[in-house]
Amino acid sequence: MFHQFIYSLKTLCKNKMLLFWTFAFPIILGTFFSLAFSNIENSEKLDVFPIAIVNNDAFQNRKILQETFKNLGEEGNENQLFTITYVEKEEEAANLLEEGTIEGYLHLEEEAKVIVKKSGIHQTILKVATEEMLQMEMMVQVDIEKEIQENLKNGIALDVTQEYFEQIASNIGHQLQEKMGIKDISSSHLSYTMIEFYTLIAMTCLYGGILGMTSIHQNLPNKSEVGKRVSVSPISKGKLIFSSVLSSFLVQLFGLFLLFLYTIFVLKVDYGNKLFFIILLAFVGSLAGLSLGIFIATFLKANENVKTGVMIAMTMLGCFLSGMMGITMKYIVDTHLPIVNKINPASRITDGFYSLYYYDTLDRFYGNVFSLLFFALLLLLLSMYQLRRQTYDSI
Amino acid sequence: MTVFKTFLKVLNKNKFIVILYSVILLFFGVSNMQTQEENTNFISSKPDVLLVVSDELEGITKHFVDYMEKHTNRKEIEESVRDDALFYRDVNYIIFINDHFREDFLSGEQPNIEVKSTGDYQASLAELLVNNYLKVASVYQKMGFTEEEIMQNIDKTLEKQVVMEVTSPLDTDQLEKVAFYYNFLSYSMLAGCVYIICLMLVSFQNEKIRKRTIISSMSDRKYNRILLLSNGLFALLLWLCYVVLSFILLGEGMFSRQGFLMLINSFLFTICCLTLAFLLGTLIRSKNTINGIVNVVALGSSFLCGAFVPMEWLPNFVLKIAHLLPSYWYIKTNELLKTMEIINIESLKPIFYPMGILCFFSVFFVILTNYISSKRRNIG
Repeated sequence: MFHQFIYSLKTLCKNKMLLFWTFAFPIILGTFFSLAFSNIENSEKLDVFPIAIVNNDAFQNRKILQETFKNLGEEGNENQLFTITYVEKEEEAANLLEEGTIEGYLHLEEEAKVIVKKSGIHQTILKVATEEMLQMEMMVQVDIEKEIQENLKNGIALDVTQEYFEQIASNIGHQLQEKMGIKDISSSHLSYTMIEFYTLIAMTCLYGGILGMTSIHQNLPNKSEVGKRVSVSPISKGKLIFSSVLSSFLVQLFGLFLLFLYTIFVLKVDYGNKLFFIILLAFVGSLAGLSLGIFIATFLKANENVKTGVMIAMTMLGCFLSGMMGITMKYIVDTHLPIVNKINPASRITDGFYSLYYYDTLDRFYGNVFSLLFFALLLLLLSMYQLRRQTYDSI
Repeated sequence: MTVFKTFLKVLNKNKFIVILYSVILLFFGVSNMQTQEENTNFISSKPDVLLVVSDELEGITKHFVDYMEKHTNRKEIEESVRDDALFYRDVNYIIFINDHFREDFLSGEQPNIEVKSTGDYQASLAELLVNNYLKVASVYQKMGFTEEEIMQNIDKTLEKQVVMEVTSPLDTDQLEKVAFYYNFLSYSMLAGCVYIICLMLVSFQNEKIRKRTIISSMSDRKYNRILLLSNGLFALLLWLCYVVLSFILLGEGMFSRQGFLMLINSFLFTICCLTLAFLLGTLIRSKNTINGIVNVVALGSSFLCGAFVPMEWLPNFVLKIAHLLPSYWYIKTNELLKTMEIINIESLKPIFYPMGILCFFSVFFVILTNYISSKRRNIG
């Protein structure tokens, strides 16, 4: 049996196509992911963006707006939202907008106007920030009115000088600067591009099925010429298949090990720090892939190319539904059609890694491991049932 | 005709795998459309927020909740999947309004609020709104107003709106969707063409068949031309399927001039895919290598050129590498078209260049195929 195992291992290692799918392809794809996603989360963070303000008389007279915009446009200020260009005439601002140099501009006349080229998040933030300033003016007005009313009750007529106005504005400005003490309890593990790399591991686990498929083909007389020769040898079919499948499993685990090394040390993927559970999940995931390959090889009546095509198509479909080609896809399927991802091994593997990365508890992780084990054992039992007692007088 | 008939026979023999691949790729294209987020139009640019209220819903608490409901998309999400929703950006911001929020606020203490945030720009907008409300409320509370007066003043203050003017006449929301669909098509089209055409051509690459073809009276160029046209028929069919689907899914966006130009652009790209597939099919000798080539070529192009990740989010050095790939020029044209306001000869000049490069790629691939094919005429 050991001989069989070694021969089977040698045969697998000489098969270029298998080596490509097991070792090279996941690494190539991982590199693509890393190139494409290296900037994506930074791009989604709110960055400072350029705006213009028409510095006309109306703007000069609104001290609160002037001061606050100055504050929000100050370089190095932690509250900085904009880089501001002050222009004398509206035409200049309109030109800058047309060229795409700015996201929008503020033009004060009787009323405050924000002019933008299109709708978007930057434009909304410019709108909200400008409104905040108008609201601050309103608060100053309310405060002064209140003071006047209270003074009148005491028989004093309050004289609202420019100095008094500025003092009130400054008080309110300070109050608005104060932090509101909102507690942020977000997890630090929110990098959703990690899902891409988890689907990559899932894909590699499932592609291992091609190895299992090959090992079955090598031993069955009705599948290949080699199978015919092997089956007339005086070794039990059970031992033959077991040693082949075992060698496939080892090659698959080795491929996965290389991918882990590459993603951890070169691409800096974060799998969390629960090493034992990561290995456990990789092991069970590979078993699920292997069993899927054996199942297809046993049940599908077609030539090897069609079976490989089916295996690859199923894997790609599984990975697509787990978020490989659009991260939110997994969540959409999970919330709208949960049954699909419950039976999709790629999704179970991805979800297992996700739960290790994002959650502190292990309940969800165990759920994934057990469903993968169940999937693998069911397919293996069905395949064994199909393969048992197959003998041929003539073929 | 003989070559075409043989092509049809081979197509018929491989029909199962051809249909399987085409259906899966069509499915990818269609279902990906369903995950496309709504455009961030500023009228509807509302962050998705989940409000978890543990305090009694009355007084200032109710007023705050109403304000957030008005300015954000309030989501209702079960407690068990809240964290998943945040991770997958189904919700950008979760606000926990805890017990005694109202009591603490009215007595001048810090409001008892906790948040979970995705940290992206939608979450920043939600944060801006929450802070804005609480600060205004806090200022009025410190001025010594009663709860009722505070709420009235907040309403009066937050009513202050700025006038927004949009200068572009474009329906950006519709065109974003059309561009998204056609950008994703670069993956499906490339994968579909390369896989199926290579599968067809490999059957013609069998040594015995090659020998028979070479000694026939038909010239190598003519043989290649008929094969290319036969495969072109398949590519055209695949393209038509996507076009019909785009009209069904995108509706009025496809009836715009920009939509029409994206359709023409996709046709040019289909020809480019066809010629590239034809080149690869000439090089490949074994069916086993097709799957590998398809995945590396199609996924590689798509990731590097912006079919899966928007082009503006890709790092610069990746975009420089992408200049060498046809998909980049195809997607670049779509990106230019989606923001193009006026369509005339002058404004279309920037898209002629990438479209021209696509045509250049097609011609280059055909010449290279003919060259390689003639070099390979000597067998044995």
